[in-house]
Amino acid sequence: MAAPCWHVGHHIRRNAQSLRVNIEHLAGNRAFGWTPAVHQQAKESVILPRKKAWSKEAVLETLASTLNRDSTAYPYQFQDDPYLSPRTATEFKLYSLAQDSGRSAARYFVNNHPKFFTKDFAEPHIPCLMPETVSLLLEEVSEEALKERITLRKVTAAVDMYDQLLQTGTAVSMETTHELLDLICLYCDRNPVQEGEAGAEEEKEGRRMTSRRGADVPRLSWTENNNAERIFYLLPERDTRCYSAVIRGMVKHGAYAKAFSVYSDMLNNRTPGDVHIFNALISAAPEVRDGYSERWDLISELLNHMKQQEIHPNLLTFNSVLKSLRQCGSLARSYSPQTLNEMKALGIAPSLASYDHILAVFYKSVSSGPSNSDVLQNLMTELEGQSFTCVDPDDVLFFSSAMKVCLDNKDLELGYRVQSLVEVGENWRLLGDSVQLSIYYGRFFNLLCMMEDVDVVLRWYKQMVPSLYYPNAQGMKHLLQALDTDGRLDLLPDIWTDMKTLGLYNRADLLEQLLGLMAGEEHSPELQEAFAVCALDVKSVFEEKAGLEWSASSLSHVTTLLLRASKAQQAWDMLKLFKAHNRIPSEALLNSFLSVCQRDGASERAVELVQLSAAFCLTSTSGLASRALAEFDLNQEQRLVLAGLEAAAGPPSD
Amino acid sequence: MKVEVTNKRKLKSLKTKSESATNYAPKPSAIESTFSMFQKATAADTSSESGTLEPDLVAAASAAAATLPNSRQAESELLQQLRRRKDLTEAQKKGNDLGDIIADMKVGKKFSRQNSWPSNQIRFDEDGQGYTHDRGIASELASVRKRKKLFPSKRLNIFSPVTDKDTAESALTKPTLWDIAFVNELSFSTNQMPRNVLEEMIQWTKEGKLWEYPINNESGLEEEVGISFTEHVFLEKHLEEGFPRQGPVRHFMELVVAGLSRNPYLTVQQKKEHISWFRDYFHQKAEVLNEADVCLS
Repeated sequence: MAAPCWHVGHHIRRNAQSLRVNIEHLAGNRAFGWTPAVHQQAKESVILPRKKAWSKEAVLETLASTLNRDSTAYPYQFQDDPYLSPRTATEFKLYSLAQDSGRSAARYFVNNHPKFFTKDFAEPHIPCLMPETVSLLLEEVSEEALKERITLRKVTAAVDMYDQLLQTGTAVSMETTHELLDLICLYCDRNPVQEGEAGAEEEKEGRRMTSRRGADVPRLSWTENNNAERIFYLLPERDTRCYSAVIRGMVKHGAYAKAFSVYSDMLNNRTPGDVHIFNALISAAPEVRDGYSERWDLISELLNHMKQQEIHPNLLTFNSVLKSLRQCGSLARSYSPQTLNEMKALGIAPSLASYDHILAVFYKSVSSGPSNSDVLQNLMTELEGQSFTCVDPDDVLFFSSAMKVCLDNKDLELGYRVQSLVEVGENWRLLGDSVQLSIYYGRFFNLLCMMEDVDVVLRWYKQMVPSLYYPNAQGMKHLLQALDTDGRLDLLPDIWTDMKTLGLYNRADLLEQLLGLMAGEEHSPELQEAFAVCALDVKSVFEEKAGLEWSASSLSHVTTLLLRASKAQQAWDMLKLFKAHNRIPSEALLNSFLSVCQRDGASERAVELVQLSAAFCLTSTSGLASRALAEFDLNQEQRLVLAGLEAAAGPPSD
Repeated sequence: MKVEVTNKRKLKSLKTKSESATNYAPKPSAIESTFSMFQKATAADTSSESGTLEPDLVAAASAAAATLPNSRQAESELLQQLRRRKDLTEAQKKGNDLGDIIADMKVGKKFSRQNSWPSNQIRFDEDGQGYTHDRGIASELASVRKRKKLFPSKRLNIFSPVTDKDTAESALTKPTLWDIAFVNELSFSTNQMPRNVLEEMIQWTKEGKLWEYPINNESGLEEEVGISFTEHVFLEKHLEEGFPRQGPVRHFMELVVAGLSRNPYLTVQQKKEHISWFRDYFHQKAEVLNEADVCLS
């Protein structure tokens, strides 16, 4: 076999030149299959493809798309020190706030002491790490100084500078006046809380985490005759932007009636409006009219004015229409689909906030029947597989309201569809801050525990807890109920360890439910052992935590569990606790204790038990006494004692 | 036992035969109008037993049932099964546009999960609705049908579609304080935290703190790209005017130019300014140089 190959190879080597030429000739003709003329033409009209321009983050985004979420890991921002991994929801908030406040403290130092940060090592230059100017540089009375104050958001300083400019008679350009009015109206004539001020900082961060509205513009109220109005009325001519600033500021800070009067002023002066004015007025419409039809009349009047002035509505216009329709009662059901269709006809894609308003309109009453989940089902069919970005601050409320609808209608399939929409692309970002997130996942988990069987529930539990969702006491109760329904009580010890990690041992009712489930029926010996260990754990929790009160049922459950696991001494200690906490043991408990004593042959203890029961003045004392006399072999004095107890408690039972 | 085994096989073959029959039958009729199919499907829905089964199928069913001991019951069961199969195909045929086709694909998938039916059934019975396991299709049908009715195409009719010109104009104006506050509010309400190190690196790249991948050595040096090295190195041409051609000044300046040509940190403009500073300096100190007898020609 090798020899012929050698010959072939030898032959090829010798005739290589001629062979190669032949092959090229053949290959050339065969591969293109063109005549030389066509080949010539093809060469001239070669079209070079355009060079692809990749974005700066293309490589990183591709790499990031290969990673999925790790359900066993803590969130990325905490993957540093295992001691500082948040195990409960409060820890999560606390640590996130701590991280944010560290960052703002660093920012404060860099900005307020720029002399320590002059050396620039980075090449190319990184502007965002350099100190920024936070203090005023220009002190003279000039328009540049005013502009500087506006950029630095110093409201009172800007107003003072403006007044000084007017006094000196310098004309201030219209642009700067517009910006000044914007500034005053945005901050409602008060200085915004600056970063680094003591006390205000934690408040600001707290508001950032818990409130849904913008953190550095808190809810203030519009005072009478404040600087905005004063400057506004002092202006020689007022144009659209001035009116826009004042009306928007008034609506933002609660002066709704005034906003409408300024608007009618604007109409009288025949100043053209702008889309922001109308957005603000539409959202303020329910506040100035009572009565559903009047509100709707006002809204449609405003929309008609927009049409007359040829101002094109945008997404926010329609979202504010829908939001105001929520307060229009029964009219909302007819008009909100029409609004949605109007949006689509104009080519404005509705955002999640619009859908959230629609859901609120159609699912207002809790008592709506199960057939009404049609609206949400149609909606989910329409939204299937789309990815969204946040274009309206109310977008984040959509998912939790959708899940609430699924929960109220007990529709598991729909719940899964909502969850799959959350998992598309970057939609998970639209679940909002930690409060909204816990509400959404709480409702989803509740739905699962109610409707699914326990294997699926546990699979979701492992996926969600604790990386996405820290269950509260309510969620845990649902989980325990689900375990009970499907008879998986063997998982109770693991759930108890989870509860301890999550910090849920402060709720006496939750502990009682857990104990009740464990003590419900007899189980296999290993399981009873595990339950007894848990019971002792719960007992130590009750003893350590100051606020927890033992209840009769939890005490009896613990005692029962200890008895079943043959821990008689500890059970005896439990009985002493009954006296200490003024709780009365049940008859069944004492009877079972007596049986255990008989099994162990502890007659001393049996007598003490009967004496204890007598101390509680229980009616079952005589029964117990007679049982003890019958079943145990006792010495003479014990018999006397028991006989006495039997007689003492005797007569009522005759 | 034997009888049942053969009957099972016969029933299986019957089922496949009926499937193929119903599959062949709708193919030519798919071309016919959808409205008639609509009617057929709605008729199938509303009536509890649809009497539109093909006669040969019915004959085959009765023949198969005749072999079984309990023929009447078996026949009714077979016919019921065939009717259900027909309803299913009618339902799947019903919708025509893309959304419905997608919804119908879901119907098929749902039917393959046979084990979920018992729990569905129990659930619905508990709710008191008393639906059979056909509710799976019925709900899809209902949604498909109602989608056309729930959000009717009636609109407010206040606005008319916008032209492109107006939107282009509004995009050019400078962002006001209100816009900045709005964008801030949006970023606070969503969750912008990175989920892994790569997302964090993406955020840093956007902020300008990180080099851009793939690494370009010359990022940050964009203005130097167009300037060739000759302008950095061959600086003698700047010594043509303003400086003497011989003498210690010239010697000094040649040394300066040699140093500058080896300096990678200055831009060309800075080097030129350096040289012109020296030019002015020597012109100013002309008297001193004259006293020292240095020729300035």
